[in-house]
Amino acid sequence: MTTTFTTDTLRGALGRIIRKLDASADELNLLDAQLGDGDLGVSLVRGARAVEAELPNLPDDVGMALLKCAQAFTKLSGSTYGTLLATGLMSAAKATKGRTEVAWSEVSSLVGNATQAMAQRSGGELGDKTVLDALDAARAATEGLAEPSALAAAADRAVAECLDRFRSQPARQGRARIFADKSVGKDDPGMVALKRMTEALNQDH
Amino acid sequence: MKKILNEPAAYVDEMLEGLCLAHPEYYKQIGPEGRVIARAAGPVQGKVAIVSGGGSGHMPVFTGYVGKGLIDACAIGDVFSSPGVNQVTEAIRAAHAGAGVLLLFGNYGGDKMNFDMAGEMAEMEDIRTASVRVADDVASAPLAERGKRRGVAGLVYAYKLAGAKADQMAPLDEVAALAQKAADACRSVGVALTSCTVPAAGRPTFEIGETEMEIGMGIHGEPGVRRGPLKPADAIAEEMLALLLADMPLKSGDRVSVLVNSLGATPPEELYIVYRYVAGKLAGMGVRIVMPLVGRYATSMEMAGMSLTFCRLDEELEALLKAPCDCPFLRI
Repeated sequence: MTTTFTTDTLRGALGRIIRKLDASADELNLLDAQLGDGDLGVSLVRGARAVEAELPNLPDDVGMALLKCAQAFTKLSGSTYGTLLATGLMSAAKATKGRTEVAWSEVSSLVGNATQAMAQRSGGELGDKTVLDALDAARAATEGLAEPSALAAAADRAVAECLDRFRSQPARQGRARIFADKSVGKDDPGMVALKRMTEALNQDH
Repeated sequence: MKKILNEPAAYVDEMLEGLCLAHPEYYKQIGPEGRVIARAAGPVQGKVAIVSGGGSGHMPVFTGYVGKGLIDACAIGDVFSSPGVNQVTEAIRAAHAGAGVLLLFGNYGGDKMNFDMAGEMAEMEDIRTASVRVADDVASAPLAERGKRRGVAGLVYAYKLAGAKADQMAPLDEVAALAQKAADACRSVGVALTSCTVPAAGRPTFEIGETEMEIGMGIHGEPGVRRGPLKPADAIAEEMLALLLADMPLKSGDRVSVLVNSLGATPPEELYIVYRYVAGKLAGMGVRIVMPLVGRYATSMEMAGMSLTFCRLDEELEALLKAPCDCPFLRI
């Protein structure tokens, strides 16, 4: 069993995520239409396709590979969620720049730092019922884990529990905040998008 | 509102194409989407590059000020919307000449997010960046919350002063510090008499009565401090002057540069009527005006109205203000 991941590992994981997002576009659009402007699925698929086109050319430097992904992702304009995901990718890119192998045991802290960078950029906080809460749950659940399938399983379970925990609460950030009352009982579309991604990574699912 | 255009979707691209065709010795259009304007002669090796940008619709801000002693490249978005991260990154790469890049732009949420991201991406490519936001509009937030103020015509002074500092081959941290000092020295306030129409929207951004004015309105139609009946020029100038002086008191012996700026439709004649009043008032206070600028420097397309900017000078800023610069819209 290997203790590290490389750009090749990243390529495989991103491929699975992209296929899953493609299949989830309608669901995400529908969810987003109830609370936002209804283009979350479309803009994620657009971003994912741009990343897909970069996959064959990703450099071996894991950090530079993540940078390429962030740059491809930001080609989709007009989506705050897209810019936020790219911010998270950039945070991980900076932390892994110059390395061709990254220890799996670093994943939890990479996710934690990415979440902080995203919170800073968006002005959002934990507890707002956004993707930040789901990422933080994933960070906490993956702490101390160093084995890829255990990481994916723990992250996926944590995001699912986070969705359950926040379902009955009102949204406090972004466009959904305007519809805070309406958001009670509904899942946050950004969290659901992350759930689809962790599902894609979790082989057992 | 009548407009001279072809397809609304082609408005920005055709404008940039025309700009570069008219002034090929100054500007060149680059990047996969052509949304970056850089200096025609290319970067000046070893000089700190200054990159700016923002939405279209404010000519000569932003692209017009690409030139010697001013800024080096601009990323330009659709009318009133921020340029994308990749366009800003493209502008940074085009301008970088080995000494780092200062990102100098107006304080708007979308621009901040995209310029910050682009700066991070450039750092990953080993291009050093620093970032200064201009937030000079006193009507947009109280002094205690200066960080929330919008950036308007004060950007012109920030370009001029930071551009002159960069021309002295000063290092990045000094150019950034000077840009911040210039931004801090500026105060602006606007008055809008009519609205403007974003081509893709096809109707006016806001409604304002035939005989009304709004003091403090932003350059995208953001709400101002007071709407009321249109007053004579001296009364408008007095109200704006009072807002600026309350924010940045001036005393006898102080030196300022004054920019009386048309938001687009207001003619130079009316700007000079306002300048006459402001000059008289400042002279009465013993404040010396240095190198006043009167004309169209930062606009909102065809909006009628004007803005008044004070840039308080010390010896360093005054010398930089008078240093040579050259673009089709500002030559010293």
